[in-house]
Amino acid sequence: MKFGKKIGYLIALVIFLILTLGPFLWTFVLSVTPEYAMMEKTTRLLPEVITYDNYRELLTSGTQKGSILITGIRNALKAVGVTLILGIPIAMMSAYALSRMEFKGRRLIKNLLLITMVIPVMATIIPLFRLFVARQWLDDVFWLSTVYVSSYLPMVTWLMANYFATIPKELEEAAQIDGCGRLASFLRIIVPTSYPIILSAALIMFLNTWSQFQIPLILASSLETKPVAIVVSEFMTKDSIQYGLTAAAGIIAVLPPAVTALIFRKFLISGMMGGAVKG
Amino acid sequence: MKKKILPYLLLSPMILIMGVLVFYPIIATFSYSLKKWKLTAPNDIHMVGLRNYVSILNSDSFWYSFQNTLFILAVVVLLTTVLGFLTSIFLNIDVKWSGILLAVAMLPWALPPYVNGILWKFVFSSGYGFMNKTVIGLGLADKPIEWLSSRWSLLLIVSLVVTWRSIPFTALVCLAGRQSIPGGLYEAARIDGGNRRTIFRTITLPLMLPFLAIGITSTSVTAINVFDEIIALSGYSDLGKNILVESYMTTFSFLDFGKGSAVTYLVMLFAGILGIFYLRSLNKEVEY
Repeated sequence: MKFGKKIGYLIALVIFLILTLGPFLWTFVLSVTPEYAMMEKTTRLLPEVITYDNYRELLTSGTQKGSILITGIRNALKAVGVTLILGIPIAMMSAYALSRMEFKGRRLIKNLLLITMVIPVMATIIPLFRLFVARQWLDDVFWLSTVYVSSYLPMVTWLMANYFATIPKELEEAAQIDGCGRLASFLRIIVPTSYPIILSAALIMFLNTWSQFQIPLILASSLETKPVAIVVSEFMTKDSIQYGLTAAAGIIAVLPPAVTALIFRKFLISGMMGGAVKG
Repeated sequence: MKKKILPYLLLSPMILIMGVLVFYPIIATFSYSLKKWKLTAPNDIHMVGLRNYVSILNSDSFWYSFQNTLFILAVVVLLTTVLGFLTSIFLNIDVKWSGILLAVAMLPWALPPYVNGILWKFVFSSGYGFMNKTVIGLGLADKPIEWLSSRWSLLLIVSLVVTWRSIPFTALVCLAGRQSIPGGLYEAARIDGGNRRTIFRTITLPLMLPFLAIGITSTSVTAINVFDEIIALSGYSDLGKNILVESYMTTFSFLDFGKGSAVTYLVMLFAGILGIFYLRSLNKEVEY
């Protein structure tokens, strides 16, 4: 029985690993396969010769495709920076008000905020496109990022509000008795005790911003704003598709978020759980 | 007095952003949907009432996309729920490398959906891609299969890729549910002589239902809003388009802002109904 259980677990493990990591491995194989070998009519899975030319071409900024991809990565990182700087403080302030204070319209504001979680991007993007055209914001990572922020705020605020609600009120009351104002007690009690959720929120925002496709497809018009996913998509649709190069670009595009997710797994998982389950 | 203003002050940046970038556009989109408004005829913009909606509901193109949306919704929700639940059982087994396994399981959720679509496109590519190498190698076919060139096979693959990305969240929610059941309950059941099957049916399943509900509703919202994977797997062709792609194409390819807005509103109605269930399931507390 014990032996049988172990075998069963190993089989499940292998299936799980193949299904989860298989597409990454296959894309990696393609990215190191020489272009001529890709068209061969063979059922052999691995190439006879391995080449790193695709990576070399993409990671040298002198080449045309390389500089486009690197700009895309830089644009995505810039957007991550803006969304974090704007999003985290705004979400924390809102979450604090919604979870710790009594005031008129609290329920209404909370519900209005939550309902936007399920509204498709397309429902807001047409007027936003007009606004962006009128204000000439189509080339601006900052305004693009504010649109991202508007799509994260409901989720992140909800996450933080749930967490703040678990911090004992007595802690804050004690601080206030000691002469702290509301603001000081927020900064000295709430902020330090909730660093895990702040990190989770930052992680979720980073991953989402890195993934953006539909919004920048419409609201980012120039090379100076297009994030990495859009750049990869343009590799895919250019008249002569170079599979190896596109595969390598795909691998480069998933590496930063994958590594981040693996390193900060504890915070990512507690963040995802916190979003779904009331604290 | 000061106390009364503070909460609104704290909320004001959020209200400003959400007001300008979400609520105002939603209302504006509705007003667009009532207009005849093509960018190709900028001087001919006027109110037409519900005529855009009528013409959409009478077009084959819309119903074609609607069928595709329903197909993706059904397949994704079914597969994600079953496989997500199974994955949670697998991940709940305590081994040395549990933490890493859990993190690996999250990867499909954490990475760009568009790029995920590209990875799978390589697996199913029409020449000698991975899938074709495998079927030919196993003798199941003698020449490469065009996986992405027929409607239902394309939609099935789109659904599989979306399922792949949705499983982590459902698995995690199930895992959270499973771990929140007090161990004492199981002990008591075992003392009372319950076997594994009765324990599963009378304890595990009912106590996990609220969590499954969160998983199912959130997956539904995801499945209706699929966009990136469809574009990655089939480009902007008509073959695999769902309502969202239809709305995007109408607006930004045919430059018909009026009709595009109306299609969008129909999607929103659809997503909104499911969304309300989602929010309800989020707000429900589990009690023992």
